[in-house]
Amino acid sequence: MGIGDFRDKFAIVGLGVTKMGHQPGISARAFEVEAARLAIEDAGLKREDIEACIHSKADGSVGGTYDWSDYLPRVMGLPVKVYFTICRGGAGATLSIVAAAKLLEMGIAKYVLISYGLNEWSASKIDPMGGHQMGAYYEKRGLWGPAFGCLDAVHIHSAYMSRHMYEYGTTPRQLGAISVSIRKWACLNPAAYMYGRPITIDDYEKSPIIAWPYRILDCCLVSDGGTAFIITTAERAKDLKKPPIFIMGIGFGEQEAKLWWEKANYTQLAVETAKEHAFKEAGIELKDIDAAQFYDCFSGEVLLSLEDYGWCKKGEGGSFVEAGNIGPGGSIPVNTGGGMLSSHYQIDFTGLAEAVIQLRGEGGARQIKDAEICLVTGHGGEMITPGMCAIHSTLILRR
Amino acid sequence: MPYNKPLPSVDEDIKPFWEACKRHEFMLVRCKRCGAWYWPMTCCRNHPNEPFFGNMEWVKASGKGKVFTVCVAHRVYHPGFKDEVPYVYSLIELDEGPIISSNVIGCDPYQVKVGMPVEVVFEDITEEFTLPKFRPIK
Repeated sequence: MGIGDFRDKFAIVGLGVTKMGHQPGISARAFEVEAARLAIEDAGLKREDIEACIHSKADGSVGGTYDWSDYLPRVMGLPVKVYFTICRGGAGATLSIVAAAKLLEMGIAKYVLISYGLNEWSASKIDPMGGHQMGAYYEKRGLWGPAFGCLDAVHIHSAYMSRHMYEYGTTPRQLGAISVSIRKWACLNPAAYMYGRPITIDDYEKSPIIAWPYRILDCCLVSDGGTAFIITTAERAKDLKKPPIFIMGIGFGEQEAKLWWEKANYTQLAVETAKEHAFKEAGIELKDIDAAQFYDCFSGEVLLSLEDYGWCKKGEGGSFVEAGNIGPGGSIPVNTGGGMLSSHYQIDFTGLAEAVIQLRGEGGARQIKDAEICLVTGHGGEMITPGMCAIHSTLILRR
Repeated sequence: MPYNKPLPSVDEDIKPFWEACKRHEFMLVRCKRCGAWYWPMTCCRNHPNEPFFGNMEWVKASGKGKVFTVCVAHRVYHPGFKDEVPYVYSLIELDEGPIISSNVIGCDPYQVKVGMPVEVVFEDITEEFTLPKFRPIK
C-alpha cells in the first residue's frame, strides 16, 4: 500500500458516549459495555453484526489491571471472531483504528467495535492511590521515579512546561489562557462536566498549585464514563443509519530515543512524522482543518500541539493562545466540546467523539459552521522520566 | 519511624547502580569501545554492539550536572511525602551527558532554576537502599 491508498477507505459509522463525570457505583466494565451498546444502536446495527472487538486502555503497557479478557464479548454475548487489547498511553483510539482497518481489509470482520471505559474518579475516592491507575502502577512496580516522589502524570508532564518557559519565556498566564479558552467551549456543551462554570484568568491564577508550573486548572479532569465507536469499510458505511465519517489519514511519531539521548524534544511533541504521513495520506494542508481536537491532558500539550503542527511558530504558542485564537470565534477552534480539561477524560476517545459530533453537525451551540475536516491527536506512553510520554498520533476525519 | 515512601524496584540491568549507591558511589554506563556515556543500561548508539550489552560497563562518574527541568510538587500523592511538600522533582543533565531524575534538596524549592549546577548527595534510607539526590554546588 502506498500513500493515498488508505484515504477514505474506512469510516466511523456508530458512536456511543455515556454520561461523563462523577458516577459512583458503576464499574469501568459497565461503562464500556454501555458505550458499546449505544454505539451499536447509533449505527443501526445488531450485536450479531460485530465480528471483531478491540478493547483500548491507557495503561496496558505500563502495568495496571489484567482484567481485559473479562470484557465485552462475554458481558454482551458478542459472537466475535477476534478480541484483543490495544494500549499505549493516550493514543488508543487511533492505534485501534489501524488494527481494525486491517481486520476489515482482510475480510475477517465487516464491522469492528472499538471501546474504552473507566471509573477513575470513583475509584480514586475509595483509595486515592489505588484508584488512579497510574498511581497504582507506580506503587506496585516502583521503577525509578516513585522513590523520589514522582507519583503522578503531573510530575512528569511539568518537565515539558518548565523547559518551554526556560527556553521561550512562556508565562503561567499564557497557560491559563488555554484553560480559559477551552472552558468557554465547555460552557457551550451541556454534556461537558464543567458546563455552566466559566472561569477567568484571575480564577486560574488563584487556583492551587498541584506541581509547579501546573495549577489545578492546567490539569485535565478525572472521569467515570465510557466511549465506543464502530468502523467499517466505506462501501458498507453507505447503507447505515448515520452519515459516515471517513478516515482520511493517520500518522504516528515516537520520541523515546530523542528524549533520552538527544534531549531535543522536551519542548515539542513527536508531531513531525505523525503529521507528515497523516497529512500526505489525507491530501490536505493545515488551513483545511476546521477544528482541532488536541490531547489536552495538561494545558501545555495544547500549546506544544499548536506550535508543532504549525498554527504558530515554535516558542510563540503563548502569545497565540493569549490572543484568543483557540476559543469560540478564534482562528482555529480547539477542543470544541471542552476537551479533557473541561469536559471529560477518555484519552483520545474524547477528541474522536467530539470530531464525529462536529462532522455530523450535531454540535448544537458549539457547532462549527460547515465543519468538514477535523484533526484528532493522541499522546502518551510510558511514564518513566526522562523518556516520558513518547508517542504521538494524528488522525484526520472528514464528513 | 520506619521508612514509609516507595522503594526503588531493582532488576538485573539496574542492580549495579543501586549497589554503588550503597557505597556512596555514583555510576553511569560507559561504552568500552568509544567511551560514550549512558544511564541506565543501554546499547551504544555510535556503532554495532556486542551481544547482551557486552561492550558496556558501569563506571564511576562525576555526580555533577545541571538542572534540566523543575517540578515543585505541592499536592501529596503518597502519605510518605506528607511532611515533605513542597519538594523538587527534577531532570538533571549530568556533565557526562545522560539525563537522570531525582530530587534537588538543600535549598528553598523555588530557588531551584533550570541551568543551576548541582552535585550528587547520598541519602541512606533503609538497610537496602541509598538514594542519589542532588544539591546546589556552592
